[in-house]
Amino acid sequence: MSLFENLSKDNRVVLYAIVVALAIISIGLFGLKFGLDLEGGSYLQLQLQGAEAQIDVSPEDILTYQFNATSIEKRAQGYVLMVPGKVQPDFAEDLGYIGAKTIPGENSSKITISAAPETIVINFLKDSLDADVKLNVDVSPVRYEILTNVTRDSLNALLAPVGGKVPEGEDTFVEGVTDQTMIDTKKVLDSKLNRLGLQDIKVKSVGNKFIMIDMAGADVAEAQEIVGKPGKFEIRIYTENNESMHVLYGDAVQSVDIPEKENNVWGVPFTLSEDGAAAFQKAAIDSGATKKPNDHEIAMYLDKDEIFSAPLAPELASSLKKTPSRSMRATVGAGDEGAEKAKELNIHLREGALPVNVEIVGSGQVSASLGDQFKVQMVIAGLIALLAVAGMIYYRYREKRIVLPMVFTSFSEVVMMLGVWAVAGKYLGWQLDLASLAGIIMVIGTGVDQLVIITDELMKGGEAAASSAQRTIKERAAHAAEKAGVGKVVATTSKVYLTRLSRAFMIILGAAATTVVAMLPLLFMGFGALTGFALIIILGVILGTFIARPAYGRIIGHILGTN
Amino acid sequence: MELEDIVSKYPPKQIMLIPIAIIILALISLGATYLATGSPVKLGIEFTGGTIITVPATGSEDSVAEQFAAYPLVDIRDVGNRYMMQFGHMSDSEYSELVKLANDKFESPDIRHMGPIYSKELQAQVIKYLPLSFILMAIVVFVVFREFMVSLLVVTCALADILIAAASMNLTGVELSLGTVAALLMLIGYSVDTDILLSMRVLKRKGPVDEKIIGAMGTGLTMAGTTIAAVISLIVISNFLYLIVPSFTRMDVIADMTTVLIFGLVVDVINTWITNAQGLKWYLGRPKKAGRGQKK
Repeated sequence: MSLFENLSKDNRVVLYAIVVALAIISIGLFGLKFGLDLEGGSYLQLQLQGAEAQIDVSPEDILTYQFNATSIEKRAQGYVLMVPGKVQPDFAEDLGYIGAKTIPGENSSKITISAAPETIVINFLKDSLDADVKLNVDVSPVRYEILTNVTRDSLNALLAPVGGKVPEGEDTFVEGVTDQTMIDTKKVLDSKLNRLGLQDIKVKSVGNKFIMIDMAGADVAEAQEIVGKPGKFEIRIYTENNESMHVLYGDAVQSVDIPEKENNVWGVPFTLSEDGAAAFQKAAIDSGATKKPNDHEIAMYLDKDEIFSAPLAPELASSLKKTPSRSMRATVGAGDEGAEKAKELNIHLREGALPVNVEIVGSGQVSASLGDQFKVQMVIAGLIALLAVAGMIYYRYREKRIVLPMVFTSFSEVVMMLGVWAVAGKYLGWQLDLASLAGIIMVIGTGVDQLVIITDELMKGGEAAASSAQRTIKERAAHAAEKAGVGKVVATTSKVYLTRLSRAFMIILGAAATTVVAMLPLLFMGFGALTGFALIIILGVILGTFIARPAYGRIIGHILGTN
Repeated sequence: MELEDIVSKYPPKQIMLIPIAIIILALISLGATYLATGSPVKLGIEFTGGTIITVPATGSEDSVAEQFAAYPLVDIRDVGNRYMMQFGHMSDSEYSELVKLANDKFESPDIRHMGPIYSKELQAQVIKYLPLSFILMAIVVFVVFREFMVSLLVVTCALADILIAAASMNLTGVELSLGTVAALLMLIGYSVDTDILLSMRVLKRKGPVDEKIIGAMGTGLTMAGTTIAAVISLIVISNFLYLIVPSFTRMDVIADMTTVLIFGLVVDVINTWITNAQGLKWYLGRPKKAGRGQKK
């Protein structure tokens, strides 16, 4: 039987051939995507300034502090406070207690607040930090998510006047934001950047406090401006023939509340400034919307894109005829879909403002021409590395029949890696950056090592190695076979051959496992800068160990055996 | 043959002086740097924070430096066809102005800015992940051999490799960057390869220990040779090619990475075939419980 016939019956060799073929096809089909440092563009590294903390504080103490209350009574729905002096009715609302009822008296006033204990803590934190605070009930005990830059110490200092503190312990204060906030922030950035029509933007989160943005074709000054600048929000009203007129801009929107459900329909409440409300009333009357609301829908735009349009509610239409209205509610729909839409509209109404304070901690730009040059340099480096490695092997074995399959296997490992990369680039957005190209070259260097181990183990090269230069492969193979007592050549089906191969693979598996675990941390550190390097080395080791090297073991076995 | 001599000709105590001397020198270097700077190796800009801008070399170094005189320019270097400038800490607004200036005055500038938060976070990551990587590797080694002394020898040799490679950074002036951290991690994975080969061959095969070590050495040295060859080609391309081909540029990340790797790889040869080999000889040659690994 010829070598080819023999090999074509070997499952491992067939698998190897198929994988290499698939890799070549996928590279041809999908092409390779290069990273920012090879293609040019700019990047921003943002830190989301937030923390989650457990807080030990009594809501009564907070209320006493905030209202200077003389007595506090806890009710099922909230608290009743007695406050000295005549209190203005909107004092409680200013502190964030929506729906509080104040009965002012001469000497003392009675304030009824309907709020859960957690709400009081949240209000206190919001008010003193001037930042958003949320309750995270997914953890036990519950934690407060504070969406601005705080430390354990600054929080404790803040809580000291109301007798509260962050309990001792590691889990009680965690820097970073919740998954939900991370997702929301990413979404806002995504939609903001996409609306600007910039191409090829990648927004990815790293851990629970960093977001990386890659932008092709923008310099870093532009990039910083885009992320920092809010979007342009506008309300327009339809007049005639599908035309619309300007009503107000985002600066007239005073505040936006979180989406709420009313009669199973989701909506986003928002408040207009006095001027804004007047402008709105005038536009509604001028356009005729107060008379025929359904013919003159109200439309909202963010950076020129229509994001919402609906007719005035009948009650609002009729009340607008007489008085302006400051508080509005944009209704979007029912069910999960409505909830999702409401959330999006809420973001848009905030003019694309991020739900959390961010700070740009790192940034930069790479020139495309320099990237092109690096690509050329790396290809040259790869080829020289392959040649240098081939030279070393030839020096050792002095046999074309070993050197060629080895170099070919090593090269095919690179092809397989690139094939996987091409597929992952298409579907997962993996890119080849400078570091991953260096990783490929490292895999050439270490991959050949494993082939050397297999070859030597099969030839029982150990004993012969010392005088390798003087003896030919055939002699060594024969010598080894003789010692093993299986005749002149090691048949690839023989027990000795298989034991040797499995012994070689024990060494290879050990070596592969150590390389993989050593690379694992790199997946998580450096803000993703070396993820490509680590991934390609791990991938190379896996492909090499489980596909290429078993096949090489068979092929080299046949080559050494069939002579 | 010279190489065999290392294993059997010289007395163990004498030959062990080489790796011991190297590791002591490495520890002195790391310790001295630590006492002087508060860190065992010199920290690069990624860990200290700052800004790096490279621009095409349009005029003399001085004339380019002059254009950036209003900013805290720390260093300017010719990196082949381009100048690399390093800046110290700046306020955000200063940085924005600097970026605009660079983009206005030069064609395709390359900018990297690392704020203090970024560099602090990175330091914390390295302190966390570098030892983690090592521990994971050690666990794998112990699982593979399931024999305490043999595993300990392998892990010790790897530790020596890493320490010496780190010390080599002080010798060559390479600073700790993300690239060099990657190289150190790479060494953690790589340095045990030949140790595993050696220990496997010695434990799993029959025959005199010295012969088995010499046998493994043939394979191991070829392995080291191929990897060193690959690394040297990267060193040449990243470091020196721009001196010959004027249109090429120095690739800093690769250059730093490979400098650390080459020291690590060379020292790995010494540690594997002297430290680990002598250690195994001693362990298997002990009078009483010797050769436990070979018994069935």
